[in-house]
Amino acid sequence: MSTLLIRGGRVIDPASSTDATLDLAIRDDRIEAIGKGLSSARVDRVIDAAGKLVVPGLIDPHVHLREPGHEHKETIASGTQAAVVGGFTSVCCMPNTAPALDAPELIRFVYDAAARTGACRVFPVAAATKGRKGEELAEIELLAQAGAVAISDDGDCIPTAGVMARVFGAVARTGLVFMQHCQDPTLTRGASMHAGEISVRLGLTGWPREAEEIIIERDVRLARASGCRYHVQHISSAGSVEIVRKARAAGARITAEASPHHLILTHEACEHYNTSAKVNPPLREASDRDAIRAGVADGTITVLATDHAPHADFEKSLPFEEAPMGLLGLESALPLYAEALVHTGLIGWPRLIAMLTLEPARLCGLDAKGLGVLRAGGIADVTILDPDAAWTLDAGALKSRSRNTPFAGRSLRGRATATIVGGVVRHAL
Amino acid sequence: MTAAAMTPTTTAPGRSSSRHLLALRGLPAKDLRSLLASARDAADTPPVVPGGLTIATLFFEDSTRTRTSFTLAAQRCGLHCVDLSAVTSSVNKGETLIDTALTVEAMGVQALIVRARQSGAAALIAQRVRIPVLNAGDGRHEHPTQGLLDAMTLAKAFDRLDTFDFRGVHVAIVGDIVSSRVARSAIAAFTTLGARVTCVGPASMAPASLASLGVEVSPRLDAVVDQADAVMMLRIQFERHAAGEPGKAPTLASVREYRAFYALTTERAARMKDHAIVLHPGPMNRGIEIDAEVADAARSRVLAQVANGVPVRMAALAWCLGRV
Repeated sequence: MSTLLIRGGRVIDPASSTDATLDLAIRDDRIEAIGKGLSSARVDRVIDAAGKLVVPGLIDPHVHLREPGHEHKETIASGTQAAVVGGFTSVCCMPNTAPALDAPELIRFVYDAAARTGACRVFPVAAATKGRKGEELAEIELLAQAGAVAISDDGDCIPTAGVMARVFGAVARTGLVFMQHCQDPTLTRGASMHAGEISVRLGLTGWPREAEEIIIERDVRLARASGCRYHVQHISSAGSVEIVRKARAAGARITAEASPHHLILTHEACEHYNTSAKVNPPLREASDRDAIRAGVADGTITVLATDHAPHADFEKSLPFEEAPMGLLGLESALPLYAEALVHTGLIGWPRLIAMLTLEPARLCGLDAKGLGVLRAGGIADVTILDPDAAWTLDAGALKSRSRNTPFAGRSLRGRATATIVGGVVRHAL
Repeated sequence: MTAAAMTPTTTAPGRSSSRHLLALRGLPAKDLRSLLASARDAADTPPVVPGGLTIATLFFEDSTRTRTSFTLAAQRCGLHCVDLSAVTSSVNKGETLIDTALTVEAMGVQALIVRARQSGAAALIAQRVRIPVLNAGDGRHEHPTQGLLDAMTLAKAFDRLDTFDFRGVHVAIVGDIVSSRVARSAIAAFTTLGARVTCVGPASMAPASLASLGVEVSPRLDAVVDQADAVMMLRIQFERHAAGEPGKAPTLASVREYRAFYALTTERAARMKDHAIVLHPGPMNRGIEIDAEVADAARSRVLAQVANGVPVRMAALAWCLGRV
């Protein structure tokens, strides 16, 4: 038996609309009590949280842990270490592994490996089609039964309306959400960055906004017909935000996520063929970045997700067009979200915390597992944040197995000072 | 790797006065003029370069004329030049590209002339080696010495050898601009030196987005051919645009359609201004983007371009290697 008291922090729990200075007591893997003046007598450990935020453990519904198959980039062990350093107690890992997570045995493998080696909770997202090829349906109902928390071919878009309609039909049966990587492949063949002034100058094939937008428009119609819940991953264009806004206003069951890099950077980060800023969908223009921020502010975008995508140095050292797409997210996400959304005054901490806890929990059905909330008797997944901590991202100090971040050396504000998973302190500064 | 390490003219760290030549865009007019003046004088007075140096041509993509031109330029500057174009067949991965460059550097050469099929490849190598890198063509990005020799050809044709000031000169560049490193370097040099540039080609090859390079874009050669002082024709790169390549949609419907609007035919050439000249970086597809009669006509400067290549590359080598 172990006990832990987190004393005097600003406790924010979006589910219960709690935002007050309170103590939080943990016994074993459960929250024992939340209240004022809880006794520290006979408590194994006391954490002074004065000036800090005490929030439900953060949830990232979109990460790449690379296991099985690409363990030179990341493993479930290293990726979850990165997660807890970033304040995350649960992550949903995407199925573009080798082999792809397209069979129930592989879903069970992820749960088993996470139980053996993981520093936080890991929930696999299963592939929608066999081998993620966008052709034949995977065993979607068996995958759901094995514990997949969402269905996605992330990394690739389901290219044809015919297959998409069948996938929606099957996913609707499971009650899970379908997460789309919105990219019409016929418009983006050979593309490696945003189609704009810089791609023209650098002699790189551009990835136009329309390739994302027309997929969302198509899917909104197909998802409505099937009744399937639909989620837009890593939204990148102003036009996409507007499509989602209108669909939600019309009552569609559609959600969207924004990623730290799309909230902070623009295609200018790709200047000088900087492969650490090569990501899919690409970094676009300031007008897109601002529209994504506005979409968060007005509630069009309800989820934040890092799309943590580790790649080895030797891979990112390839010429720009041959280097893989993706960048690290977990260890730098929180201060970047705050920089884009809170320090700008667009939203407050309680809303930011909701977008990192309650909203992704609902998206992936983790709320039904008792995650994403703080309540007495509930699971003790708790993150303590110092909203004002100033620090500099040192790529050499990352827990991830990879180093591919465009934010190395950046001055950041805000970080997780403790991450508690099931009552166990997995990270503490 | 810092942003500064990738800028076109960064000092290469190995020698205090040496530098890379990776792109013409971003190079100030005074540097372009200094390079061109050095090239102009190179025939009579070869530029001074440190004695006894050895350079290497490191070609990851086939090229005969550019490599030969660099080799001749090196010889005329008193440099030793070794040719490593044999890497073409075995190297196509970037890390190997860097490893190859590091290996050649370790053998003790003092500059690398790099040709590769990936945009940004020369800059990538320049980040990793300590010797100057001259970009001899990187994917669809730039081919700076080609842009300089095109500028030299213009300067000679329009009597601008004293000033290299192209104000009042209107150049049409015709064809596959989007895929052309030659066009990007030429556009950078011409516009920096004051020329007006109009890009002409089908939508897939000359999209409106090219305007961000500081040029005008026109959909019809007929509307431009009688306005321009120079018409630069680009080779149709059939390997990029023709049908039949798996996974790639053809962007060219047919040669006859292309010729109907974008070829410099004998009839169109007849409408050019009396003094106007014709440029082509070669190799030419005679009878496709340019009629044979036009290629061989008095107004053609195609061979002058080739001839200007050697002194321009002498100047570029001297500029990169620095003075003794």
